[in-house]
Amino acid sequence: MSDRNHKPLELFFSCPLVSGLHARPASHLAEVANQFSSECSLKNLRNGVVANAKSVLGIISADIRHHDRCVLLVSGADERAAHKSLHAFVHETLPKCDVPLVDVATSSQSNSMPRALKAAGAVFISGVPISRGIGQGQVVVLRRMSLPEKAGSRKVATNPNHELDLIRNGLASVRHQILEKLKYSLTPVGSAVLQADLAIASDVLLLEKLTEQVLGGKSAGRAVVETAEYFIDLLGRSESKYIRQRSADIEEICMQLLEEVCDESPTQSVSLSEPSVLVAESLGPQQLLQLDRRWLKALVLEHSAGTSHAAILARSLGIPTLAAVRNARLLLTPGSEIVVDAHRGLLIPQLSAGIRRFYEREQRTLDLRKTAWSRDLRNAAETDRKRIEVAANASSGEESIAAFGNGADGIGLFRTEMIFLGRDGPPSEQEQFAIYSEVVRAAEGRPVIIRTFDIGGDKKVAYLNLTRDENPFLGYRGARIYADHRPVLQAQLRAILRASTEGGVRIMAPMITSREEIVEFKAAIAEAKRSLTRESVPFDSEIKIGVMLEVPALGFSLDQICPEVDFLSIGTNDLSQYFFAADRSNANVSSRFSVRHPAFLRFLEQISQQVRFHHKWLGVCGDMAANIQNLPLFLGLDLDEISIPGAEIHEFKRALSKLDADECRRVLERALACKHASEVDELLTARHGQMQESLVSDDLVVLGSTSRTKEEVIQEMVDAFYIADRTTDRHLLEEALWAREEVYSTGLGFGFATPHCKTDAVTSDAICVLRLNDPIHWDSVDGEPVRMVVLLALRDSESATTHMQVFSALARKLMNEEFRHHLLRAETAGAVTAYLRDELGAAIGKSNEAQAPEPSVQPQAP
Amino acid sequence: MKIVAVTACPTGIAHTYMAAARLEKIAKNLGHDIKVETQGAMGIENKLTESDIRQAQIAIFAIDIEIEGRERFNGVKVIQVPLQEALKNPEGIFVKIQH
Repeated sequence: MSDRNHKPLELFFSCPLVSGLHARPASHLAEVANQFSSECSLKNLRNGVVANAKSVLGIISADIRHHDRCVLLVSGADERAAHKSLHAFVHETLPKCDVPLVDVATSSQSNSMPRALKAAGAVFISGVPISRGIGQGQVVVLRRMSLPEKAGSRKVATNPNHELDLIRNGLASVRHQILEKLKYSLTPVGSAVLQADLAIASDVLLLEKLTEQVLGGKSAGRAVVETAEYFIDLLGRSESKYIRQRSADIEEICMQLLEEVCDESPTQSVSLSEPSVLVAESLGPQQLLQLDRRWLKALVLEHSAGTSHAAILARSLGIPTLAAVRNARLLLTPGSEIVVDAHRGLLIPQLSAGIRRFYEREQRTLDLRKTAWSRDLRNAAETDRKRIEVAANASSGEESIAAFGNGADGIGLFRTEMIFLGRDGPPSEQEQFAIYSEVVRAAEGRPVIIRTFDIGGDKKVAYLNLTRDENPFLGYRGARIYADHRPVLQAQLRAILRASTEGGVRIMAPMITSREEIVEFKAAIAEAKRSLTRESVPFDSEIKIGVMLEVPALGFSLDQICPEVDFLSIGTNDLSQYFFAADRSNANVSSRFSVRHPAFLRFLEQISQQVRFHHKWLGVCGDMAANIQNLPLFLGLDLDEISIPGAEIHEFKRALSKLDADECRRVLERALACKHASEVDELLTARHGQMQESLVSDDLVVLGSTSRTKEEVIQEMVDAFYIADRTTDRHLLEEALWAREEVYSTGLGFGFATPHCKTDAVTSDAICVLRLNDPIHWDSVDGEPVRMVVLLALRDSESATTHMQVFSALARKLMNEEFRHHLLRAETAGAVTAYLRDELGAAIGKSNEAQAPEPSVQPQAP
Repeated sequence: MKIVAVTACPTGIAHTYMAAARLEKIAKNLGHDIKVETQGAMGIENKLTESDIRQAQIAIFAIDIEIEGRERFNGVKVIQVPLQEALKNPEGIFVKIQH
């Protein structure tokens, strides 16, 4: 050949990916290389390993870690074109290939074991909960693949061509199955996982190795087994944890292939026939999908891979999963019944009667909580006379999913800056599309307001070459930089538009100051729409366009702004800073110029009236929106939506169900007439006090308790708080009660006990009453067993002194025999609360009145 | 007999008041004249005045924690018991003060 001495074209690069060149980027690279006929090899200059760049497995086995120097060698007819494409890939696409899979694994919480469980003698193994929930079932152990036994009886091939056909057809069938699954993949993450599987099943090196084995005289089954072992061993030696985890993916593909080429089905595909807990070293996503979900109650994995594909799927399927349980397959006996508590990070291998009782009760508590939760949400929806949407702020798909789980009416502010920060170049359109689509899918048609990137000033992004501003907040930021970064804005707008086909999407521009900027922004959207139309890519042509109202100037030109937009969202953080010329983070000025200053409230009122006049939609976000005490103001302002942190949604909705729009209007009018922010503070604090839940309520009364120990009683009462949605943290509440109990028993004699505590784990001060069917031991002062338990919980930080008066009155009354007899005889929860209200009524009633002072100021005539 | 008393417990939510109620009741049954100051979560209530203390023949402290204003009782005979004693055996305290 004339080009015998021709040197291949070289392309040097260093691996930009923190997790190394793992399966997903490797499949991208192989995909590019396979577009050309030239030979492409990849050499890792650190370890000298040379791999075929057209093979995912080859690339992975080169064990390329972060910052490893590498060279791609390309030679062949189309080497120039190949070099060019690979150059573009390595420098532009590769650095962005590594969308980190969020690792939600939290630290093990073995110290949060409930007392009742401890008292029941529970021995536990701790693990890392990667998908929350509780599951109970028989242990089914998935042993490490022991392929030889399953490789079929024929170990020697009689006709190599026949064996090769079996393998080729088998691989085609495996690929076909993956493609079928891809069609039904629900999430971008799930699709990426299946794409990586597909790349492995299409890998040239895999086929090469299989062929080599068959030609060496092996049967197809045997060839698959040995090929699998070869690659698993190869990847297992990698120093990258991420790559080691990928050996599970290869194992899985090979198992599928084995099923295709052997007559018998490999035994590794377990079939479940009763409630089961699957215990495995690690699990491939397809393996997980083929398990019978009716019987799969929980998963226990030895690996600590919170980011493994199986973990991600387990979360999306809601299968309780504990990871990082070392030697689980050795420690757990197949067929024995265990509990996986993936709330607390515990695995309980031996179930005593007490432990079973605990988990039966726990299950009942969780069910009741769920029922109560959906009932509350329904009530909230029915009782708002003026509907105000309670939406969530979010900046990722995961956060959005969680917010909708809490009952969010939409995403009121999806911040996209996070996608742009901390990287070497802007995110690709495709990458953004994947993220926005995930959010939109989670929304199921509810509105999602995506704010285009608000970068500049104090948010540094090197690749946008922003100058350092003297005064960042008053500088070159938000929409002001868009004119200089058209391609970046276009990519984002296209990604948002593409995601809009699934409904609900709205686009919002940050830091808009004038009408001209809105016109320019809309022109950019029109341009993105035109380019998509040209490419026949679908999008919502009626997509709503709005602006963030955070520059005061905008508030004074609403007559000109409103006709240009579909909606506005008030960004209270920046708006108030610009309004008062006072830095919120500067304590010297921030207290005097709070968002509750009447001047600012008047400005909001003016904005609201103007926007109403133009019949546009108006929302609010920022810290002011997230303060539940301000809720009456927003209802009074007649806003369409408030956007708050996702975790608060539930509490806001409950509060909303207790507010009346007309009354809120009066609260607002009084606030507008105040002279200082502190007067507004007083007004709102008092109003909020009235909204507090009452000290006694039927759902905090348990009659006919069957608890058998003090631990169980306290657990049951804590659970009552949980079901009634009056505790934010069961564990903290339980421990606060026990901390007091350990000073000395609260058994006061006469068969009564009064556990009590001061803790912010309760949402408001409360009295909880429990009556036992069979009295239990409580270490009482008179040594008598306890029949009646009256629990007092007081908030630590903001407890009303009036509530303390009720508590002290109650404590005194418990010394009164007639009072005790009444509680012992009451037939229903309603009778208990009615009696308590009668006896303590003056104090309970007084607490509300005392907190609602007469207005210190009267609305002034305009 | 004229008696003054102070009750105080660790959290000041329940036992301070239960003990006060108990002492008041027993004292009344025994024909004593008693005034009980509580030092609980609401601070000092039913505060003993200088003249209350001066007129008292004896002071009962049913307390689990150090109390405020102990110096007020200088020169008065004081019987101090753990607060639980006032719930467990309040009569016993009154027997003790007779001696």
